[in-house]
Amino acid sequence: MKLVALIKKEFHRFFHDPRLIVTILLPGILIFLIYTLIGTVVNTQEKYEYKVYVAGESVLTQAIEKAVEASGSTVEWIPADPEEGRNAVEKESATAFLAFSENFDETFLGGSVEIWRGSTEESLSFYNLAVAVLQEGAMRFAILSHSFETEQDFAKTFIAGLLPFLVVTFVFSACMSVTLESVAGEKERGTLSTILATSVKRSHIALGKIIPLSCISAIGAASSFLGVVLSLPKLMGTDLSVLGGYGFGSYVILFCLILSFVPFIVSAIGAVSTLSRSVKEASGYTSVVMILVMLMSIVSMVVTQFGDWVIAVPVLNAVIYMGKLLGGELPLWQSLVSVGVNLLYTGLLVWLISKMLSSERIMFGK
Amino acid sequence: MEDLFTNEIVRAENLKKTFTLSRKQQRLEKTAQTRKVAVDGLSFSANRGEIYGLLGPNGAGKTTTLRMLSTLIRPDEGDAYIMGHSVRKEPQKVRDCVGFLTGELKLETFFTPDYLFDFFGAMHGVEREALAVRKHELFSRFGIDAFSQVKVGDLSTGMKQKVSLVISIVHDPDVVIFDEPTNGLDVLTAKVVTDFLAELKRMGKSVLLSTHIFSLVEKLCDRVGIIIDGKMAEEGSLAAVCGERSLEEKFFELYRGIKGEIV
Repeated sequence: MKLVALIKKEFHRFFHDPRLIVTILLPGILIFLIYTLIGTVVNTQEKYEYKVYVAGESVLTQAIEKAVEASGSTVEWIPADPEEGRNAVEKESATAFLAFSENFDETFLGGSVEIWRGSTEESLSFYNLAVAVLQEGAMRFAILSHSFETEQDFAKTFIAGLLPFLVVTFVFSACMSVTLESVAGEKERGTLSTILATSVKRSHIALGKIIPLSCISAIGAASSFLGVVLSLPKLMGTDLSVLGGYGFGSYVILFCLILSFVPFIVSAIGAVSTLSRSVKEASGYTSVVMILVMLMSIVSMVVTQFGDWVIAVPVLNAVIYMGKLLGGELPLWQSLVSVGVNLLYTGLLVWLISKMLSSERIMFGK
Repeated sequence: MEDLFTNEIVRAENLKKTFTLSRKQQRLEKTAQTRKVAVDGLSFSANRGEIYGLLGPNGAGKTTTLRMLSTLIRPDEGDAYIMGHSVRKEPQKVRDCVGFLTGELKLETFFTPDYLFDFFGAMHGVEREALAVRKHELFSRFGIDAFSQVKVGDLSTGMKQKVSLVISIVHDPDVVIFDEPTNGLDVLTAKVVTDFLAELKRMGKSVLLSTHIFSLVEKLCDRVGIIIDGKMAEEGSLAAVCGERSLEEKFFELYRGIKGEIV
């Protein structure tokens, strides 16, 4: 009953304060709006139908054509003699004129290519694309790449690499915003001492903080996560169908992994907050924890091969196996053990917080 | 003898508490010593249905003593028993039968008195029905009912103190420990508090209070312990301690005897 009252108090404190609700939900909304805006700006390129006069021949025209198509535009090649080409560009009846020297492809080092362009946006746009391809070609050979990678494969690779890092980042910021205020803030204001003067067990006080704060942090993290996922179509120029490519089991494990490190991070911040005398001091200690956690998630993006020892490292284990899950693998037992390990560490931290709450030096030391 | 034991609700035996001084505190106190003895072998007892006053100047060790009795801090040496429960060995049982009010313990300003009363009632394990009855009684008694749904942060200082007081006794404790209960209050609120202390005594509760106000001790207390430099300078019934003199005269006589001149 006492534990329930403690948990209800934290929820009451949060859900009856519109400012706190805004604080926790706003990052998700902002992320969605900003990412969508960025995606819209980046992907809203002008589409052109280039009409390019060309004299001479080169395989590089194929490479230019590919680059043009990738940008969403089209190109029409019109063979022309130099004078005709230059005149067309000057009169703006053609986008550009390319003049390859004789046997350009065979005499690659000695050959030359002239580009004539007009002053329009369309002309400049083609010029930039063509120059980029020609410069690539100037490195002695033209690269005509072909890939069987589908848009979904690309999206999956992107999601597997980036999403675990983003999840950890959002979880940490959500945990930090609620835990610092609730634990260090209460200690600083002296309201935690009032609870300590009652007969409630210290372990209940610790759990009465960690359980509701984990739930609230999970809501905040989910808001940020949704903000990213919903803005992906605009940001990446892809749809969300890739998310439907994962099985139900993958989602359940993913959910469990996230849920396992939310209370761990809350407990870690809770522990440093209990140790600190003020919110300011706690913020300082928490930034160290944040660096460690961020480091782990960044390492997971850079290093691809980890031994099984990674299971024993909280947060890192979840990040690694989240990445594998999103990459299409199903590391079932490793994920489940990771969940257990994270919860075990959480239990240890809750025990530590209980001990700190019982410590006169920590709670009442000046 | 048995009757004497059952009447003795609070017994402090040779309580000692030492604090480590920070460099800042050393500078403020103009001392090179790293430790300060706040309470030095304090012994006293309080009986059922009486008001016991701990009188002393600032820094004498009154608040530290009350904090040890309410189990917020542990004595370095000695022990105290509240209704037979040791503050060292059974702190949880002690907290069940003690109501502690001190300026150091604050209420969250976001919540209303109504919510906090229910919350702290739950913290003490009070049944819901009994809690509702007690809330009605205490809120009416202190005029809190009209403000029960106002956030604590929006209440006046006097009303905040009243709310703190009723919450400290939400579980109807047998022993009430009040640290400087009238500090910072206007005369009207101070009177409400002192009247209530007298009422608690009539209800058979034991009240321990710390103060440096002579008149408050003379008006309310059955017995008094005068603390100077963490030691019990004199203890007993008000009549036995003061004799023919006023409490103020007695206090300064003791003070001069221990510390020399006052300034």
